[in-house]
Amino acid sequence: MTIRAIAASVMASLLLTAPATYAQEKKGTGAVPEMSGLWLVQDPGSGSWTDWFDNVPKPKLQPDIIADNQRMAASEAAGNVVNRAPRTAACPIGNLPMMMASSPPINIVASRDEVLMGAESNRGRFIYTDGRPHRNVKDPSYVPTGFGDSIGHWEGDTLVVDTIGFAPRVCDSRRPVMLVPGGGRAKDTTHLVERYRLVNPDELSVTFTWEDSTVFLAPHTYSYTYKRLPEGIPIENNEEPATAQPDRQYTTTKSEK
Amino acid sequence: MEFRGFAAFLVVVAWSGSAAFAQSGAPTARPDLSGYWELRFDSFNVPRAPLTTAAQGALEMRRAKDQEAIRGCVNVGMPAVMDDRGVLDIRQSPAVIGMVARSPSSTRYIYTDGRKHPDAEELEGTTNGHSIGRWQGDTLVVDTVGFNERGITAIPGGGYRTSRAHLTESYKLAASGDQLTVTFTWTDATVFRTPHSYTFRYYKVGVMPEPRVLNCIQNDADRARFLTERPAPARF
Repeated sequence: MTIRAIAASVMASLLLTAPATYAQEKKGTGAVPEMSGLWLVQDPGSGSWTDWFDNVPKPKLQPDIIADNQRMAASEAAGNVVNRAPRTAACPIGNLPMMMASSPPINIVASRDEVLMGAESNRGRFIYTDGRPHRNVKDPSYVPTGFGDSIGHWEGDTLVVDTIGFAPRVCDSRRPVMLVPGGGRAKDTTHLVERYRLVNPDELSVTFTWEDSTVFLAPHTYSYTYKRLPEGIPIENNEEPATAQPDRQYTTTKSEK
Repeated sequence: MEFRGFAAFLVVVAWSGSAAFAQSGAPTARPDLSGYWELRFDSFNVPRAPLTTAAQGALEMRRAKDQEAIRGCVNVGMPAVMDDRGVLDIRQSPAVIGMVARSPSSTRYIYTDGRKHPDAEELEGTTNGHSIGRWQGDTLVVDTVGFNERGITAIPGGGYRTSRAHLTESYKLAASGDQLTVTFTWTDATVFRTPHSYTFRYYKVGVMPEPRVLNCIQNDADRARFLTERPAPARF
């Protein structure tokens, strides 16, 4: 290799890697990858939401979860496709596995001590990276949500996020339980570990590992790839409030089939 | 090229790379606004807004519309996000700043990566609008357009947010790091005779109280009654 070729290689390397790299200072140590931005999950062409959501390695499920899946499938085949749980103050917000799999891009703002992860509208996730432990999710003052309680730390170039404290049930999705891709559940006994790594400046890999001995016979792991939308514009759910369309949820069954 | 010349070349390349990176958003000399911020009783310097005649006539209708948005748990949007009575969570990365209020609202994003506003025809209005920011020394200047008229539209001092509104903000962190002063200036010829400016001062709090999210229930009948029925006079 000639000097000129070496120089060109070095320059190319610097130019290619600099924008992707390291903007935020990890607490007390060096810099970490800059993951902030709008990210779109990559569906390899599953064809439908259900197919996409289940397009992961099959988890080994507990028999009662398998039976519950069969019961829900039979109920939906009979036309009961809308969750009829009433929406009350006890209803938790959020649905982490659905949010991370959904087509609206996720919007990450990674500061040193906390990572915001917004969805299409309203709320998103808070991942604390300031070294704090989990909240006591068994304390009566803890309010469980579909996002759980997340803390994160950096292992080299990978953000490792640990989440517990999910809500046992949900009210405002199609099913009264929070489904995990492949047919599992996320609930109050569930533990999730996510590993976020920038493959390149425009590609983010997230590996999810779910553990819950009441749901899975073994840890359930799958990965998603997200592509950066550099000029993407955050959108907002502009649905009319439920007061303006009281029949939208919770009451209809066969008519919405 | 001799070895010495090549080494000098590499130094220049490395220097130019880091300089470019700094321009693209490295946090080096910029204040970090990240933290939990709250408004206190002495946080407000809000003069009366110079309203147009048309805006004065529309205030009652707008007030009723805002009340219906509160009842419906609609995202409150700007400027109510910045006027939240809960703690405001601000998170700053090199390219974007996120702001989360406790009231029902979308996360507010302020892009500081040098991008422009999208063309008007590409911009669907939102309650928070589309915000871009740039640093002028130690002051963050934010420009926002692309609002819609949903949510709470009332503007401190008088007036209301419309889809024609243009908001400019300046964010200045105190040297101590524990106070953040934000001056808001609204321009909208249909609402204000002249630009309307006011200032909030936020105080930093160390710990975010939990729960972080207000679970707003649209179909809570008792809540709806509280919000919509005229208060009965006190009896002694």
